Amino acid sequence: MFTKKKSSAEAGVETSILNKETEGLSQGQIVRKRFLQHKGAMIAVFTLFSIVIFVFSALKIKIGPWTYPGWWKYTIEDLPELALDGCSGGLVGCPTLSLRPTWLGGAGIQLGEHPFGQDDIGRDYFALVMRGAQRSIMVTVIIGFIGGVIGTVVGAIAGFYRGAVDSILMRFTDFIITVPSIIIGSVIGYHFGNLGVSFLALYLGLFAWTGLSRLVRGEFLTLREREFVDAARVAGATNRRIIFKHILPNAVGIIIVSVTLLMSGAILLETALSYLGFGVVAPDVSLGSLISQYQESFTTRPWLFWYPGIFIIAIALCINFIGDGLRDAFDPRQRRRITRKDRQSARVAKKARAHA
Amino acid sequence: MKLKHGAKAALAVAAAAALVVGLTQPASANTRSTVVIVDSNVFTSLNASTPDHNLVLNNNIAYMTGIGFNYYDNRPVLVPNTTFGTYKIISRTPTFKVKYTVNKGRVWSDGTPITGVDLLLTHVTSSNQYSIDAGLGDPDDLKKKPAFDSLGYSGTYTSLIKGITLAPDRQSVVLEYSKFFPDWELYAPGVSPVHALVALAEGKTKLGTNSNNVANKNKFLNAFNSKNTELLTKIAKVWSTGYNLKEVNEKTNPLLLVGNGAMMVESVVKDQRVTLKLNPKYNSGPKMSGIEKIVFVTISDPTAAAQALANKEVDFYDAIATADSVAALKKINGIKIDGTTQAVYEHVEVRSGAADGGKPYNGPFAGMTQRAKDLRQAFLLAYPRQEIVDKIIKPVNPKAVVMNSLQYFPAEPNYSKMIAASGMDMYTEGTQDQRTAKALALVKKYFPDAKAGSGSVKVKMLFGAPSNTRRAAQAALVKAELAKAGFDVDVTPTAGWSAFLADSAFDAQFYAWQKTSLTQVGNFSSYKSVNSDTGYKNARVDAIIDELEVGNYSDAERYSRYLEIEKIMAEDAVSIPIFQWPGVTAYNENLKGVDPSPLSPTGLWNFWSWKY
Amino acid sequence: MFAFIMRRLGTLGVILFGSSFLLYNLAAFSGDPVAELRTSTDPEAPAQIAALTRSLQLDVPPPLRYFIWLKGVFGVFVGKFDLGQTRASEPVNVAVFEAIPTTLRLVTTAVIVAIVLGIAIGIITALRQYSRFDYSMTFVSFLLFSLPIFWVAVLLKQFMAIEFNNWLAEPSIAPRALATIAGIIGLIVASAVGGERKKFWKVFGITSVGTALTLTLLLEINWFLQPALGPVGYFAASVGAAILITQLSVGLGHKPSLRAALAMAVLGLAFYYPVNWLFERDKQPLIIFGLLLVTIACAFGASFYFAKIDRGPVVRTAILTGILSGLLMILDKLMRTWEPYFKTDAVNGRPVPTIGQSKALLDSGDYWITLLDILMHLVLPTIALTAISFAGYIRFSRGTMLEVLNQDYIRTARAKGLNERTVIMRHAFRNTMIPLTTIIVVDFAGILGGAIITERVFGWTGMGTLFNTAINSFDLNLLMGVFFLTATMALLANLVADLLYSVMDPRIRVGAGK
Repeated sequence: MFTKKKSSAEAGVETSILNKETEGLSQGQIVRKRFLQHKGAMIAVFTLFSIVIFVFSALKIKIGPWTYPGWWKYTIEDLPELALDGCSGGLVGCPTLSLRPTWLGGAGIQLGEHPFGQDDIGRDYFALVMRGAQRSIMVTVIIGFIGGVIGTVVGAIAGFYRGAVDSILMRFTDFIITVPSIIIGSVIGYHFGNLGVSFLALYLGLFAWTGLSRLVRGEFLTLREREFVDAARVAGATNRRIIFKHILPNAVGIIIVSVTLLMSGAILLETALSYLGFGVVAPDVSLGSLISQYQESFTTRPWLFWYPGIFIIAIALCINFIGDGLRDAFDPRQRRRITRKDRQSARVAKKARAHA
Repeated sequence: MKLKHGAKAALAVAAAAALVVGLTQPASANTRSTVVIVDSNVFTSLNASTPDHNLVLNNNIAYMTGIGFNYYDNRPVLVPNTTFGTYKIISRTPTFKVKYTVNKGRVWSDGTPITGVDLLLTHVTSSNQYSIDAGLGDPDDLKKKPAFDSLGYSGTYTSLIKGITLAPDRQSVVLEYSKFFPDWELYAPGVSPVHALVALAEGKTKLGTNSNNVANKNKFLNAFNSKNTELLTKIAKVWSTGYNLKEVNEKTNPLLLVGNGAMMVESVVKDQRVTLKLNPKYNSGPKMSGIEKIVFVTISDPTAAAQALANKEVDFYDAIATADSVAALKKINGIKIDGTTQAVYEHVEVRSGAADGGKPYNGPFAGMTQRAKDLRQAFLLAYPRQEIVDKIIKPVNPKAVVMNSLQYFPAEPNYSKMIAASGMDMYTEGTQDQRTAKALALVKKYFPDAKAGSGSVKVKMLFGAPSNTRRAAQAALVKAELAKAGFDVDVTPTAGWSAFLADSAFDAQFYAWQKTSLTQVGNFSSYKSVNSDTGYKNARVDAIIDELEVGNYSDAERYSRYLEIEKIMAEDAVSIPIFQWPGVTAYNENLKGVDPSPLSPTGLWNFWSWKY
Repeated sequence: MFAFIMRRLGTLGVILFGSSFLLYNLAAFSGDPVAELRTSTDPEAPAQIAALTRSLQLDVPPPLRYFIWLKGVFGVFVGKFDLGQTRASEPVNVAVFEAIPTTLRLVTTAVIVAIVLGIAIGIITALRQYSRFDYSMTFVSFLLFSLPIFWVAVLLKQFMAIEFNNWLAEPSIAPRALATIAGIIGLIVASAVGGERKKFWKVFGITSVGTALTLTLLLEINWFLQPALGPVGYFAASVGAAILITQLSVGLGHKPSLRAALAMAVLGLAFYYPVNWLFERDKQPLIIFGLLLVTIACAFGASFYFAKIDRGPVVRTAILTGILSGLLMILDKLMRTWEPYFKTDAVNGRPVPTIGQSKALLDSGDYWITLLDILMHLVLPTIALTAISFAGYIRFSRGTMLEVLNQDYIRTARAKGLNERTVIMRHAFRNTMIPLTTIIVVDFAGILGGAIITERVFGWTGMGTLFNTAINSFDLNLLMGVFFLTATMALLANLVADLLYSVMDPRIRVGAGK
């Protein structure tokens, strides 16, 4: 499986294609161009963007005096009548969403009154899932942002300055690593009651940066020894300039991958905490709390389990794919895949040159 | 691909083997004699009477490995165990005396006869006075544990029981109370293998001979009579810590496993399971019907337990009753489900003052003024109890009803008589819409601009366990309905809620009372002024409770006292019940004789009648 | 270096002190240890609360109570290490040290499988960047990574245990299901092999038809109830192993290695019946260890026979092949144990368990049945843990590999005419392992903390369960015991990772202050 070998002629072709691709472009342009060419990432960006718009516009939101009505008729506070019949098998509150058109023997494509069904006391499950998704996205973004910023800053400073600064920062990191965030969560829950989901995300973010900072520090330790950094220093660049203009762009790939993993991990962390009873608590909901609350429903009212699950997976998948695309785009040495078409056109061009 | 070759080669062998196997297939039905029971705890001790080990699983094991003068059945009524012994009142005045007699011929699992001497240890582990006199430490000392680290001290036993004497024939003991005590039956002395305790205290590691055992029994009796601090302290050490085992295997000291119950511990795999086998010499209680082994396995996740049941890995599961768990269990083939009720009821309490020693309470419901009473009444009127039962409890137990008596459960005979007379019908009259309208009218008296959604009266509600969906759902219903009556209820759940029950920051609270024994004072002791978390103080209620604690009453006398308390409390609008907790027991459909009881040990109470 | 390590160990102590003090107080303030008694109508409840208060020393304020606890920890210097007792009156030391093996048993296999599989797939996807296989593996790994473990567990139990056991009662596959299974396996294999469109369909066709036929045949001979490799299957499998290992370690072109490896396979076949006879004897662990020694000796013999010079790689290949064929032999034995196991009273025809570490009622003195029982209980948790954790390894190894492949030294290696196998395995792979190793070290320390949720849903009682119990029952001593171990391990692992990094990558210097 490792015997495939490129002929040197083909390698030459690759180089020429490669050069053509990046000729005359700034770093930013190259990154953007590469990112836009990454099919998986583009699909993910589009999907995630749609999900965010869809989810955040669904429900009524009140910010101060201003009220956004939301396009969905229910909120999680509404208590519509529980639909006691209309389901098979003596179940209550089953979903009215139907995707099978009438000509296939279904009920036709329609949302119905409660597309995702209702929970035990009749609340609209679609509204709950929408609210849950809002919460989960918020948690993800906050944890990713806080964890990413703290991790990068701590790691960068420690790796760049080394010595005492490094020691202190890294021992501080060790200190944070040893404190289990569940305990913090339960202390907060016990003494301050429910401080809401943003607070939960905030404090989780404060404990989630350790892995990232170690990675960034390692990257900085390696990069600061490289020739281009020496060159910059000799040329009289300030430390700040070296960090921001020379080292950081080279470390950005690893930071982005870690942050996306951190973010998709954050959804799961929140889910796990909710399962253990330390996450988002009622009356607020998150996708994690919904799915752990209704895991018993798996064989009886599976929709209570599947819909939040699908949203968790979709969001986590999108974030990961975007991270993947960004990583590839930022890697300065990364080559784009040479497609058959590229190769062919290069060959044609070469032939043409030879003939000329 | 590789497997294919293997398969080909095995073809001939396998075909032949299949033929042989097909012909000699063992008949496997009906030979089963083991029950595997799910429990969410882990096993920690053979002695469940110490504060640290008073856990459900330990108590269940203790129930199966030891039996005394009585037990609760599923009605629930305290049933005398006449196979083991008898008891009767022998004097009422000047002191109240009860004689307990062990039938002749009862034996421990090592063959030693059970006598009255085996009943004496209860006194040592329950009487503060004896503990002090014998130099075993003062159980009320907050700094130092007494030698016997027992749960029994400082309670009723200590305050009422003057002494215990062994009858000359050594088969009976007489318990002497300073005055009549209505719940005397509950204080029957427990039976303990004192000969084994003495042997353990002396460092023995093997079962003794008959003469040894008799000698040990006498040693204990002498020590008991002479209050021999030295020997008793040694025994205390064994009793308090020696029985704490997480593992039992062939290396375990057999003296620890001596018991008189139908089963005895065969092995314990740490944190995983406890295996009980038949006690071959058992003759102290109802006969076993065919089960030879009982295994408790520890599974803490309810979904995991249900799936283990579906996969036939376990036979018996006292499930947490939620709509989904019941529906999921119903879907499993080969499983029978008993819907039951537990001796636990959900209720709502409204604060009327500060608990003893608490911060002063100045909320909307404070005091006994007309205004406070009206607002409390409005709160309880608009409390959507019927809706809670319909939406949350009926899916689990279709027969569930709103509970209206603080003392009686709906299935009890006096229940309907009580609710007709107690005035509680004020809270059930009409539809919920009508009641809520009535409530709004009451609120309007003091808040003229109150209307649905106005949030005129702010109420902070305490309720528990954020992960408990049943509670969260109740809170949502309550918030929605009370908003219609002009209340604004803050239903943010509180972690560690039970520590705040007496906290004046909360205006109302809903949670469950659990009944663990049937006493004459019933469910009311928590409404006594000194005990009330919600600062309810009513001299008449206190007086009746005092009477109930010591009086000798007939059923009718008891009923009239309960009725009076309930009337006062309905009038004062301080607490109303909501529903009785449903329970679900799911078990292998081949297992016969299961008939769960509302009181602990619930489904296990009649394990001796089980059979396949 | 020594001074550096000592300094780090010193700070480690300080950190532990600080975080344990913090944690102790936080935990002490986080709950109500007597919660249950407060809602009991039992008139004895107040007395019981008082008794508990006394036995847990609740009247001592937590910051002071911490020092009572710390005194026990410092007992380590006088040989009396004491972490206190749990609320179940078990010494915490014992509880924690007994939980470690359970946790290790639960997670080790999963972690190893996740690492091996993750790195292998990661490297293949890096080599085939943006191929169909890359995309589909990326998708699958992200998908698995996005699943909450308790959810995975519920699904696994339903379909791989309950339904599978039901199916085993009457094994048969409907034609439609057969077609689906064959199609899926065909797709996976074909996209892993890759290549032009024509080749893809060819591979797909062969694999799916092959799978369908194999399944039909296996059903026909009742293989699922009486599985076995048999001598022929065993031999074929070990020859395959020999070829694979030779290819990976030195390349098939290296004749002495290939010969030695094949010789090991042949020896395995020759000893098939004798070894199986040995398997029936008592004292199995000893016998297996002996067989391992014999295998290694044979491997040396074969290498010395087939290679005259440069024996190192040959010995390596032969030993690996020998061990792998030994494992295949054990696998074969376990397969043949399946039927007796299946028929025991405890199993009663439902071999895949959903819960626990071993069957409660299985009372068998037979080594193989007991072993199979333990392994069967590991199946579902291992799949669940592997599924959710290997995505990370795929991503990291893919990323690192891509980076390494673009380095100049790889270009140099290619330019000087090394074959692709050497470039990948010797130059690229080894450099990829540098950052991965440090990640693995830290991960290993992390797993000692236990998989809280996994243990809970699969009914295992390891470190995760202890931690969970400690939190839920407000068992401070137990919590601190668990913390003490996991925190120390985490700190040590970070230290080791730093050291390893500097050892493997000479560009990094530890402790270089200035």
